[in-house]
Amino acid sequence: MADATLEHAAVGHGAPGAYEAPLFGAYSKKVGMWLFLASDSLTFGALLFAFSYNRIYTDWPTPFHVASITNATIMTACLLSSSLTMVLGVFAAQRGDRAWTRNWLLATMAFGTAFIVLHGMEWTKLIGEGLALPGFPRPAGAATGELAEVSKNTPQFAATFFGLTAMHMLHVTIGVIYLGVVALRKLFLPILGAIWLAGFLLIPSDNVFHYGIHVLLIGLVLATVILFLKPKDYDAHDVEVSGLYWHFVDLVWMFIFPLVYLMSTRIS
Amino acid sequence: MHDVTHDDSKGQYFWVWGALLILTGAEVWLGYHSSLMMAVHMLELLLILSIIKSALIIGYFMHLKFETALMRWLLVISVTACFIIMYFFFFPDADRILKLGVK
Amino acid sequence: MATPVSVHAHAAPQGFIRKYIFSLDHKVIGIQYFFLALTAVFVGMFLSLLMRIHMIWPTAVLPIVGEIKPEQYLSLLTMHGTIMVFFVLTTAPQGGFGNYVLPIQIGAPDMAFPVLNMLSFWTTFVGFIVIIAAFFVTGGAPLHGWTGYPPLSAVQSAGPGEGLGADLWITSIAIFCIASLMGALNFITTTLDLRAKGMSLMRMPLTVWSWFITAILGLLAFGVLLSAGILLLLDRNMGTSFYVPLINVNGVMMGHKGGSPLLWQHLFWFFGHPEVYIAILPGMGVTSQVLSTFSRKPIFGYKAMVYAMLAIGFFGFMVWGHHMFMSGMSPYSAFAFSILTMCIGVPSAIKTFNWLGTMWKGHIRFDTPMLYAIGFVSLFVSGGLSGPFLAQPVLDIQLHDTYFVVGHFHLIMGVAAIFGIFAATYYWFPKMFGRMMNETWGRIHFFITLAGTYAIFMPMHYLGMAGQTRRYSQFTEVAYQTKLIPLQTFMTYAAIITIAAQFIFVINLFWSMFKGPKASDNPWEATTLEWTTTTPPPHDNFGGVTPVVHHGPYEYGVPGAPRDYVMQNDPATYAAH
Repeated sequence: MADATLEHAAVGHGAPGAYEAPLFGAYSKKVGMWLFLASDSLTFGALLFAFSYNRIYTDWPTPFHVASITNATIMTACLLSSSLTMVLGVFAAQRGDRAWTRNWLLATMAFGTAFIVLHGMEWTKLIGEGLALPGFPRPAGAATGELAEVSKNTPQFAATFFGLTAMHMLHVTIGVIYLGVVALRKLFLPILGAIWLAGFLLIPSDNVFHYGIHVLLIGLVLATVILFLKPKDYDAHDVEVSGLYWHFVDLVWMFIFPLVYLMSTRIS
Repeated sequence: MHDVTHDDSKGQYFWVWGALLILTGAEVWLGYHSSLMMAVHMLELLLILSIIKSALIIGYFMHLKFETALMRWLLVISVTACFIIMYFFFFPDADRILKLGVK
Repeated sequence: MATPVSVHAHAAPQGFIRKYIFSLDHKVIGIQYFFLALTAVFVGMFLSLLMRIHMIWPTAVLPIVGEIKPEQYLSLLTMHGTIMVFFVLTTAPQGGFGNYVLPIQIGAPDMAFPVLNMLSFWTTFVGFIVIIAAFFVTGGAPLHGWTGYPPLSAVQSAGPGEGLGADLWITSIAIFCIASLMGALNFITTTLDLRAKGMSLMRMPLTVWSWFITAILGLLAFGVLLSAGILLLLDRNMGTSFYVPLINVNGVMMGHKGGSPLLWQHLFWFFGHPEVYIAILPGMGVTSQVLSTFSRKPIFGYKAMVYAMLAIGFFGFMVWGHHMFMSGMSPYSAFAFSILTMCIGVPSAIKTFNWLGTMWKGHIRFDTPMLYAIGFVSLFVSGGLSGPFLAQPVLDIQLHDTYFVVGHFHLIMGVAAIFGIFAATYYWFPKMFGRMMNETWGRIHFFITLAGTYAIFMPMHYLGMAGQTRRYSQFTEVAYQTKLIPLQTFMTYAAIITIAAQFIFVINLFWSMFKGPKASDNPWEATTLEWTTTTPPPHDNFGGVTPVVHHGPYEYGVPGAPRDYVMQNDPATYAAH
């Protein structure tokens, strides 16, 4: 194990054995990512606790129809499958197979993008039906149906739903950008820019994603800074570390899906 | 380090993927059969399934099962401990608000 | 498998900007953090001065700031608390000295992630700019206190500073959270992965242990504050009701419904209590280091010190509710929190007795760092003794939100941590800047500061027991409180003198930086690795070689050794210790 550890440890430094064996037996970047994920899981954990806290003393509605649940199930399947393609991408990277690394990463990004798009459509539909936060832009024929009643009588429902899923969607978006940077490097920047511009121009201004799409712009700026500050060829370690982040995003959804959706199914 | 020994066992990841999909299916099925049990038990069951799913993801996809024992335990225990501590103080409090009838 | 690229193989940078501004070198970043904290502490101190003046002379018209209105007093205390807690007590000991010293003390050439390190400093810097900006926007700075309790903090129309000012305040905290997360995971990874050969965990200096444990606390605590802050921002700007129940502000019904302010208190204090230890633990580490060095004795009970710090870190996560005894929290929780809080007294007492045991029969050298370390122990005990009072719900109901609490946390978390920072500054200044600080002025600074802090904060305990409430801008309107004004006046004069004395420190610092006598490589005859390298250390800390560690960190007075101290990298073995 010792040799493998030294090979893994990012402490080569021209003098192997100059350092104590890393306590976690893994290279630094992986340890760093795990620590970040530990912290991030507490961020999500706190959000879920806030959700449960509100939920315990509130009369909770169960407004999600079959269409929403089906959609969310497909989204879950997308994320789970993206995790599988990510694992295959990590394997390809460890084999040194650059072409397939890129292909699997692109497949992962495709699943992730599908998740975001499906989720965005779901949001738009729910907002159109009246489930909205007071701060959202009001779409043109906003309904006054059952969901509008829900957000009026139990504001906690819309608040926790949008708060939790927005935070998760933000993480998925960051994940897709992260994978894009690892897979395509500078080639990814114009693609990201084009998606942002197209989204900004095409999404009507009474839709919340007209503003939400600016996350991509912030991501573009950060990715540009990182790629020009530290231009490098991403190796198998970087792919594995980005994979850790991606699986974590998947993992968080495994808690949000049953708590937010399945515990609020409308059974007719 | 097990990277080398596990390189060729891709099959298990497909199994894990399949298991995750099946568990998700089970959760959705449960979501539509909540009349079978009390809501609290349904929540417990769903959470147990979610924890199994996350354990599969962490253990296999995120490879934690194959890291050193120290890393495995320190990371899992520290985060879990925080959640347990929060659980024991947050929920009695929310419950109390319910009992006090504060709106 | 591709050969891993060494993360810290960066060559010494050329050019002013890469060398001093956007530097990747942990030493430069540490000094940047130090000066950021120095700026912040003067801002915070200036705010506290304005507060003290307003309390005694409410109608005084001051130069530049003019007359302070009562709501501006609330802004002052909010910003004083926030700036001091986040940008001084968290930034200076951990970001500043931790960054500078930790890699050298474990024999590493740099932190594990130098780029992340640079980013975490500049993110902190942005956070500082954002919070300072809150002074200058319409309505001014927020007035909800550093704890930001809703509904006051969650409703835009609740007060003059609660508009844009409060948004900037929360944004700054969120930015600071992200910066601290980056810093914390960097510290942990560095300690785990980059210890020189022979630097086993139980040979790490107690300073390294304290920064390491602080980083773990930061990693687990700041994430929770981040999500609490996000929910608060949603409440303020998107109209959600996480924290806000049905509420009527100035006769207007707000659109909120069904939220619980208690939720914020839980989330905030889940972060807030570990934050107290984030501030104080590095001070404990520095004190241990300095007491051992200047007593020329091994630290008394090294392992007990390590386990005590771990225990403090562990219990630190289970006691947040003692800030909430008055909140209507479940009484059963209050009971559990009370017991757990008193448990923290045990490891704290272990540390105190070990510090005293370290000094016992030592050949003590009373240099300035040693004075400050002794001052730390003194303040830690004085502040700590009022802790068990506040830990009991029954007593806390009387003392909550009085000056007793203010005195308690200023002594133990505020000034004690500041004394830790002073000890660290006087101790590592020769290594950081290559020159010695002036001893005479250092001692004068110490004695005025020690006497001053006691004069300011000790009377607060009496005021609190007499029922004087905190966060009141003036006391002239309440009959029983007017009788206490003379004591407040005394405290204000003490504060003015103490704050004036801090200029001795600043002048000494900058004068010594350029004109002080040159320091040798090991002016204090200490044993840890930072004193084995040149002063100031080269870009990669040890000039291309990685030290090998053969000894524990505090081997003073070893029988058979040629000097009264054994450097950690000394290959010779001496009589069994």
